[in-house]
Amino acid sequence: MVGANGSGKSTLLRVLAGLSRPTRGTVSGRPQVIGYVPDRFPPNERLSAMEYLTHLGRIRGLRTSVAAARADQLLDRLALVGGKHSPLRTLSRGNAQKVALAQALLVAPQLLVLDEPWSGLDASAHGTLAGIIAEVAGAGGAVVFADHHETISASDPYVIDGGQLSRRATVTEGKPTTEVVLTDLGGRRLPEVDWHAVGGVLEVTSQAETITIRVTRERADAVLRTALQHGWSVTRLGPIAERTR
Amino acid sequence: MIALIRFTSATMLHSQRYLAPALLFMTAVGVSSSNDSGPLAPIYGLCAGALFVCATWFTIALISVEDPAHRAITIVSARHSGRVLLASVIVAVISCLILTVVGVVLPLLVGTHTVEAADLALGVESGLTGAFAGIAIGLLCSRLVIRRQGYALIAALGLVMAALLVRGLPPVNVLLRLLANATNSADLLGTAGGLRAISAAILAVSALATQFITTRDN
Repeated sequence: MVGANGSGKSTLLRVLAGLSRPTRGTVSGRPQVIGYVPDRFPPNERLSAMEYLTHLGRIRGLRTSVAAARADQLLDRLALVGGKHSPLRTLSRGNAQKVALAQALLVAPQLLVLDEPWSGLDASAHGTLAGIIAEVAGAGGAVVFADHHETISASDPYVIDGGQLSRRATVTEGKPTTEVVLTDLGGRRLPEVDWHAVGGVLEVTSQAETITIRVTRERADAVLRTALQHGWSVTRLGPIAERTR
Repeated sequence: MIALIRFTSATMLHSQRYLAPALLFMTAVGVSSSNDSGPLAPIYGLCAGALFVCATWFTIALISVEDPAHRAITIVSARHSGRVLLASVIVAVISCLILTVVGVVLPLLVGTHTVEAADLALGVESGLTGAFAGIAIGLLCSRLVIRRQGYALIAALGLVMAALLVRGLPPVNVLLRLLANATNSADLLGTAGGLRAISAAILAVSALATQFITTRDN
């Protein structure tokens, strides 16, 4: 999931993890075992990494010896630098982030929620994290992660913008793209349109009485036709620079 | 739940934020009871008042010691925010029980008193009354309910002062006035027990309100 700062990524992840309640609607099907890594993990604890992880393992129902062994194994895998037995407050931001990641994996999660997990991690840890994500997904777990950079290499990311979540199509590279801005001029509360059903639609964002649609050029005419048929007025239309992912 | 209580206790002990309220309580008890040879009930009244203030301080410190991001992780690990709050309340109650014992025993060590079982029971009852009421106010003035520390401090001071000084306000003011001039502890045990029950009920309501506000605002 990608989105700009303040677009609501963290809020949505907190809803998924059961930490926040949605303003509207309900959450169903949330699994029992969830691993959650917040976007920031201030290392202000006097507990050591091992003590902290062992405590959290016990809270998750592990026996002390099992929790300690699992913590040791995860910290080795994530190559924690700074000492497993040193107070968390002495760790660097990147190493504290590794502890945050380790706590989410103490028990194999059925849902792993990661909020900007790459921030602060060094290059070698990036590969380890990618491996962990693949392992959780391979074991049947769901993994949701967010970043505000549009550099996520996930094959089919979601985009969150203005409180709206939309799916980004996978194959846009090399294809010319058009941006269509539509307005409900009379404020007539026009009927909802499933823009993705038109085909070629990459992104739909709505704000007040305006909708912005990013669509491949060959389907732009179809989008315009649909918009006019449903009473929308075209405010702006034009090609946009291709964004890289 | 035991794992959560252990974690909460460990976090609190490592932070050392318990030291200031604990030292304040010990000092208050020591000063108020040293070289005293009168009846124990008024001394236990002072101990209960001191414990009330210190329990408020201790509870606010206990809740605030964990950063919100760490607390979020603990809640996800425990699967319910209510369990994490309950663990905090239990740790606060256990800590106040220890202080209550100190408040009952210390006056006996530094003063000269004729001790009866009723005196000790009254000391425990009055200590717990102050402790439960203090924890209740501490929860409502913690970061979970009032995010801005300045406002939380003002609210805590206001509530503590009101509970101590508003004439006839149960349980703390009523208890302190009852014990101030008492000479026979056995006569007051029933009333003190009732006030302790009221205090426990206030704590339960406070915990529920804190949980409701916390989940509503998130």
